[in-house]
Amino acid sequence: MILDLHVHSERSDDSRAPVEAYLKLLQRKRAERPIDGLVLTEHRQFDPRRDFRDLEDRYGVLLLNAAEVETDYGHVLLLGVNDDILARFDFADVRLPAQDVVSEVWRLGGVALPCHPGRPTVGLCAHYEARGPLDGVVAVEALNGGSKRGEDARVAELMARYGYAGFGGSDAHLVSFVGLVATEFEAELRGMDGVVRELRAGRCRPVDFRQRAAAAAEGG
Amino acid sequence: MALEFDRSILGQEFDRVEREPVTVDEIVAFAHALGCTEPCYLEPGSGLVAHPTFVVRYRGRRFLPDSLPDPLKTRMSFDAGKDIDFGVPIRPGDRISVGAALHDVYEKTGRTGTMTFVVVRFVIRNQRGETVATIDNRLLYKD
Repeated sequence: MILDLHVHSERSDDSRAPVEAYLKLLQRKRAERPIDGLVLTEHRQFDPRRDFRDLEDRYGVLLLNAAEVETDYGHVLLLGVNDDILARFDFADVRLPAQDVVSEVWRLGGVALPCHPGRPTVGLCAHYEARGPLDGVVAVEALNGGSKRGEDARVAELMARYGYAGFGGSDAHLVSFVGLVATEFEAELRGMDGVVRELRAGRCRPVDFRQRAAAAAEGG
Repeated sequence: MALEFDRSILGQEFDRVEREPVTVDEIVAFAHALGCTEPCYLEPGSGLVAHPTFVVRYRGRRFLPDSLPDPLKTRMSFDAGKDIDFGVPIRPGDRISVGAALHDVYEKTGRTGTMTFVVVRFVIRNQRGETVATIDNRLLYKD
């Protein structure tokens, strides 16, 4: 099962992409981007009332609600957000203590996943070099669709050094980017509980469809 | 250092301006300047309306409120874009009013460090109180 674990919609301040527009594109490009579901990771917010059931039924994909928060070690995806996690952290705070986020989100039943770790300032690598590693990190975003040259290579070194599992996410803010990078799970997943379980166990791997998409574009 | 301020200032209108009635000539000239060819934007008569982007001509007298958080008052900013939600069309004779309020102040971090965004919302209405457009204008302050 393949999920794009890192997608922003128009609810994020820097995206104008409606969720349904992503789904329409994926429907058209199924052969090059075989995505079974999306995880919406809006910046600095989580709306527990968000209801994707109608879109899921119409497009036959899994849609899950998550968040991307900002910490003193860079940006982190939070999956499995629940009332306890919402009560524990102010998602709008751009200076959340990363160690608390990783430890507490785990204790409260979710998982905190550092994203685009190779990115300057807001990625884990730069902070590890300066301040040492965090305890309790299980997986990092090995492939990020918005990475610049060399940024994902730094993550490969980080994973090798600390034994982290890797996942992938398009980090799409524009419709055309969705599903170009994603995460493959061996298990068939029906909801967030299963996704969190697999990620906590590190049973995931990043997948990259960018070359396939480029070849399809060249072929017309 | 986190930006702290009294969030009750959000949503409070700090400026309101009423404009002279919109003329046929203004509407047609604007459409010509855009290169429009649609008759509804060009031909005087009962069907004439202003092109939707006509609303960006409207400004208030003040762009920022006095209640802007202190750390931002003395710093340079730049325009980080606009979101426009279009309402009813503008027609000749409409008397347009522009109300401005501080809509949001938030921080985010990126490759270059911490940024503060100030969102000023301009609500543009006609003489019947109908909303012509809501414009959220983002200003970016770099730390």
